[in-house]
Amino acid sequence: MIYLFQVLNGIGLGMLYFLLAVGLSVIFGLLQFVNFAHGAFYLLGAYLTYDLTMRGFSFWAAMPLATLIVAGLAALIEAVLLHRIYKLPHTFHILVTVGLALVVQELVIIAWGPLGGSVPAPEGLQGVVILGDFIYPQYRLFTIGFTAVLAGLLWWLLEGTRLGAIVRGGSESPANMALLGYNTLRINTAVFGFGAGLAGLAGALAAPIRGVEPFMGIEALSVAFVVVVIGGMGSYTGALVAGLLVGVVQSVMTTLWPEGARLMIYVGMALVIALMPRGLLGRA
Amino acid sequence: MINRRRFLTTSTLAAASLAAPGLVTRALAQGEALKIGVPVPISGAFAANGKFATIGAVMAAEEVAAAHGVQVSTLDLDTEGKPATAVRKVQDALAQDGVKLFAGGILSSESLAMGKEVERGGGAFMTTAGADEITGVDCNKATFRWSVPTHGAINETVRPIIDALPDAKKWYTITPQYVFGDGLLNAAKAVFEEKGIEHVGNSYHSLTDKEFSGYLTNAIAAQPDVLLLLNFGAQSSDTLRQAVSFGLKQRMTIVVAWASGLEQFEALGPDICEGVYFGAQYWHGADSALNRELVAKVQEKHGFNPNYSFAGSYICAKLLLEAAVQAGSPDGAGVAAALNGLKYQGLTGEEEIRAADHQVIKDYYLLKGKAKADMADKDDYAEIISAGKSFLSPEDAGCTMPA
Repeated sequence: MIYLFQVLNGIGLGMLYFLLAVGLSVIFGLLQFVNFAHGAFYLLGAYLTYDLTMRGFSFWAAMPLATLIVAGLAALIEAVLLHRIYKLPHTFHILVTVGLALVVQELVIIAWGPLGGSVPAPEGLQGVVILGDFIYPQYRLFTIGFTAVLAGLLWWLLEGTRLGAIVRGGSESPANMALLGYNTLRINTAVFGFGAGLAGLAGALAAPIRGVEPFMGIEALSVAFVVVVIGGMGSYTGALVAGLLVGVVQSVMTTLWPEGARLMIYVGMALVIALMPRGLLGRA
Repeated sequence: MINRRRFLTTSTLAAASLAAPGLVTRALAQGEALKIGVPVPISGAFAANGKFATIGAVMAAEEVAAAHGVQVSTLDLDTEGKPATAVRKVQDALAQDGVKLFAGGILSSESLAMGKEVERGGGAFMTTAGADEITGVDCNKATFRWSVPTHGAINETVRPIIDALPDAKKWYTITPQYVFGDGLLNAAKAVFEEKGIEHVGNSYHSLTDKEFSGYLTNAIAAQPDVLLLLNFGAQSSDTLRQAVSFGLKQRMTIVVAWASGLEQFEALGPDICEGVYFGAQYWHGADSALNRELVAKVQEKHGFNPNYSFAGSYICAKLLLEAAVQAGSPDGAGVAAALNGLKYQGLTGEEEIRAADHQVIKDYYLLKGKAKADMADKDDYAEIISAGKSFLSPEDAGCTMPA
């Protein structure tokens, strides 16, 4: 029974990891841009949710507001700074985005202080569900359902709509898209803002579970990269499969080998790199 | 590498030193400045603790400078919470900056490493880290410790709760897997055995874990009466926050054996802390003359109440600097001689530095989180349930102080 429950818990974790990683994957897949500031957008999403709820906004208002603010800010940063370095080697992407992440982290400390804070789960989701001998927070169940619906919507948006086709076209053949009259610069800005907004949304959703603290972005970034590497850079489905896999492995291992639970997700990543360098569902 | 340099100069405060002439037995050479390194994590997972610690050390330096009319400079050394980084920063400070006094080390692993380095460099080091080994089997001439070690922390939290809750016979522990966590766990197991408590399970976790739901699921499966959290700082906050979201507060008593004090309460908020027991080295509401004085000064200067990180760093820096002034030199031997056996009115009341192992004998507090409605002010998060001194003898702790 405990393993079944750990699998359920792992699915909950995995859906959050998916949400965190999918934005990174989308940005890399469509823009070929390595974004080490992704964790900083997650951090911002969490802190904005914290701030807005402290100011009296309900969580249901704070979550979309925080997501939109992060997406808008990221789009602005892309338009002003990041689009200038797309054609440079990946080392420049890393250098600039790591610097950006550090700036965001220090700004968070200046704005909200070095101590963290707690975000209460929204009204109606503060209780627990009792399943035999086990209990599970209602809010965590909500995040599983919410993220599952969101995952379906994202897939539809990217694969089943004209907007998704434009975005994919902008990635694969910007010159042809320009000839067709599309502004590829704007498409790139929108994609970057969209990907960062997903990180912000993950931060907002995670805030009632994890609370907020200024260094949460670093941990989030490392998990996001593990998920993206395992799933395959740029693969939407890969991010979903890998997110769930990482969450379930981490959760089940806390019963089998607690001290190695976190280590195992990195072992898993190393194995995938060794056996399937493009990841489970990465594009050739 | 030194991150920031603070240089405090006093030139018109000789009168202040006249107020306590007995403290100074040999004047520092003219123009000689005291330097104190503050090696604490200013970045990384424990940065919040380190940032308050640096401010606490600066306040101590200002006070000593004002009281004795000497120049005192403080050097912030960011250990990042990593022993290797901490050792390198201390080596640089000893060799390049001539620093002999060090007040800091929040994590046991970094403190153990730095203490050995400071001893090699002929300096003196005072820490607030918890592992028994610091003033136990790894004690040395240069290392002093203000905080109650893991043995005392467990005895002053677990024992009173066992006495208060006689029906709570099954305890589960969640432990970080490093020297500090193992120290707390071993001490807890010893008390469990003595008191006939069933230890129904333990989950180890790494120092980088942020997600504790899996460990909490293990705890739920064991159906304990008490959940004892043996981790520290942000990790114990994360564990407690997630335990409360799992509804465990309604199902069992939750105890945080080594809370980081006010900063932890502020981060968690009263709704999470209400009804939870916390072990604490320091509480701003403690009734002692020096503490009341410190609280007033910090309120006046910084506008907040001192927390454990601030207070621990403050008292460590103050004790070292006062000892250096008394010895007339920051050299380790003289400072150690001035500190050994010292009795003083400290932040927790009467405190004494035991010469045999350089351990400060002081109170450890058991706090209980208050309901929001019962808080008298914004920082009145907890009431003191009990306080007491529990220490292994130097022999039992395994300390053989080198001659």
